[in-house]
Amino acid sequence: MADTRRQTQRAHNLGPGQVVLLPAEPIAEPIEDRPSSYRFTDPRLSELSIEQLLVELLNRVQEALEVDTVAILLLDVDSQQLVARAAIGIEEEVERGVRIPLGRGFAGRIAAERVPIFIADVDHADVLNPILREKGIVSLLGVPLIVEGELIGVLHVGSLRPREFGQAELGVLQLASARAAPAIEHARLSAALQHEHDVSVALQRSLLPKRLAEMVGVKVATRYLPAREEVGGDWYDVFELPRGRVGVVIGDVVGHGISAAALMGRLRTALHSYAIEGHGPGRTLELVDRFVQSLDESAMATAAYAVFDTYTSVLHYATAGHLPPVVVSRSETRVLDVTPAPPLGAFPYGRCPEHELSLESGEILVLYTDGLVERRGIPLSTGIEALAAAVRGAATPEDACASAFADLVPLVGLSDDVALVALQSAIVPSELHLTLPAEPKTLSHVRRVLRRWLNERGAGEGDIAEITIAVSEACANAIEHAYAPTPATFELHGWANDGEITVTVRDDGQWRPPRGHNRGRGLSIIVAAMDDVQIDRTADGTEVVMRRYLARK
Amino acid sequence: MSIADVQLTLAPNALIARVTGEVDMSNAEDVGATVIKATPNEAQGVVLDLSGVEYLDSAGIYVIYGIRASLQARGQALILVIPSASPVHDSLRLAGAERPGEVAEAVDEAIAIFDNAPPPGS
Repeated sequence: MADTRRQTQRAHNLGPGQVVLLPAEPIAEPIEDRPSSYRFTDPRLSELSIEQLLVELLNRVQEALEVDTVAILLLDVDSQQLVARAAIGIEEEVERGVRIPLGRGFAGRIAAERVPIFIADVDHADVLNPILREKGIVSLLGVPLIVEGELIGVLHVGSLRPREFGQAELGVLQLASARAAPAIEHARLSAALQHEHDVSVALQRSLLPKRLAEMVGVKVATRYLPAREEVGGDWYDVFELPRGRVGVVIGDVVGHGISAAALMGRLRTALHSYAIEGHGPGRTLELVDRFVQSLDESAMATAAYAVFDTYTSVLHYATAGHLPPVVVSRSETRVLDVTPAPPLGAFPYGRCPEHELSLESGEILVLYTDGLVERRGIPLSTGIEALAAAVRGAATPEDACASAFADLVPLVGLSDDVALVALQSAIVPSELHLTLPAEPKTLSHVRRVLRRWLNERGAGEGDIAEITIAVSEACANAIEHAYAPTPATFELHGWANDGEITVTVRDDGQWRPPRGHNRGRGLSIIVAAMDDVQIDRTADGTEVVMRRYLARK
Repeated sequence: MSIADVQLTLAPNALIARVTGEVDMSNAEDVGATVIKATPNEAQGVVLDLSGVEYLDSAGIYVIYGIRASLQARGQALILVIPSASPVHDSLRLAGAERPGEVAEAVDEAIAIFDNAPPPGS
């Protein structure tokens, strides 16, 4: 290598196989004036993707220099190797994924020494890449690609016949490299950012609930939209809890990108775990706060968590540094009171006071993240008012989400994630008329519907418990006696009249006489729990009519 | 979401089976089979903790009798944990069922009954 360095200043009249390190000094002749120069100063080049850009550059270099081969190798920083990324005439380089260690061979030395190299005859030179020989290339000229002092790759051209590449050719290639390098770096950077964005979005989506389970007593709708530039850590969750309760969560991890999305996943899991342990919203958020405090990294998040009891329509909620929930009713839209509490992970021993309200039949609770209401230069309260106005009059949670997105999410340039959850306290009809599949798993569904319906009819706890067990037993009988071969159904009707509840269960099957000493217990329970029971067995099926007077509350 | 769950713990003399959630014809037999399968031969019996049960229907009552019969056939006892405020009492009362075994208010109380009992076979 020392030998070739000494020849640096010589550019011409070389013997076969001699390598010349060409001077990288400014070209005497102003290249910009040459007809070929337009090819590399075209502003449209900056609009291309990295793949398109590389191909375009290769074509223009080939055309300008009338060479047989052109190739671009880019430096892989981690492995310190040059990787063939695009080529004309030696496409195999790219296909075979040729990698050249920095400092070795023709391209490796251009990169390591950051100087142009000319090889007059490949056969007698230190060329590492066998493809160059296989293709019959005789002469080569290459230049480094440098951006702001950083080497990013090598651009080289080749000729199948012996060719003397001199100052003129070098000038063109250097101009091409000077124009190409920043454009390549820019395109590569955007591709990397796009990749991170895609990964974050994929990660975040994988962490959000896939499909909301069909739940009795509530309707739920959700929306999630990642920011275009940088994905944040917004999340939501909806899950069932014991005793007919439903939990809804919305949260926002401080920060962006993959790490925020990953932390979001941990918080979502932690909150769900504490919730199923039976803790209320306030205590659950306090426990998640302790969890965040215990993490190694400094992490912070805001969250709102609400638990809705589908039996009683009572809602408990708490927030930690999060925006107040909004409730939509038929007559008005109101922003709920929240006691200010610090974000999760902000201060040790944070407290999250809990609030309680009755979410009447048909009312919709709306939880959201700041991305929906926060706009530069506009007070937050104005954004929240705009949300309240947007969801006013919504008849379903789906409507509420659609209106909020239509009015508040900008068509372009969404700068933060947006998450939105709307939960509606199911509208309970004054009379029940249900046709149900004759399957054992229907029973828990029936009990949920019935408990809520009885609660709305003014029944107290004792009445609800005993009527529910009687009706569930009657349904169990209908299911047990249903004819098997075809998917069978049974009917349940319920109405209230002057403090008296009447429920009928009708099926197409025949109630068999009780078998075994325990099989009669279902009927015993029905009779014991209700004031009046009539069983009407006909050839078409069986109908049980059950009545009970409600205790005065 | 499954409507019931069974958590099994081995105490020195007994298996403690804690049932939570709702027990009806959709899961009663599974609950019974889970408890019987987990009961070791050397145990004095089973503490069936029903304090976390929110709902129990006639199928559930039937299974409790089934568990008691299986244990009796092996010379083992069944002790139920049913706190006074439990809805399980309502179901038993409405069904007119006799107590399907000795009843304790809490698990500790139930385990104490086994601890004081003579070992099986003596």
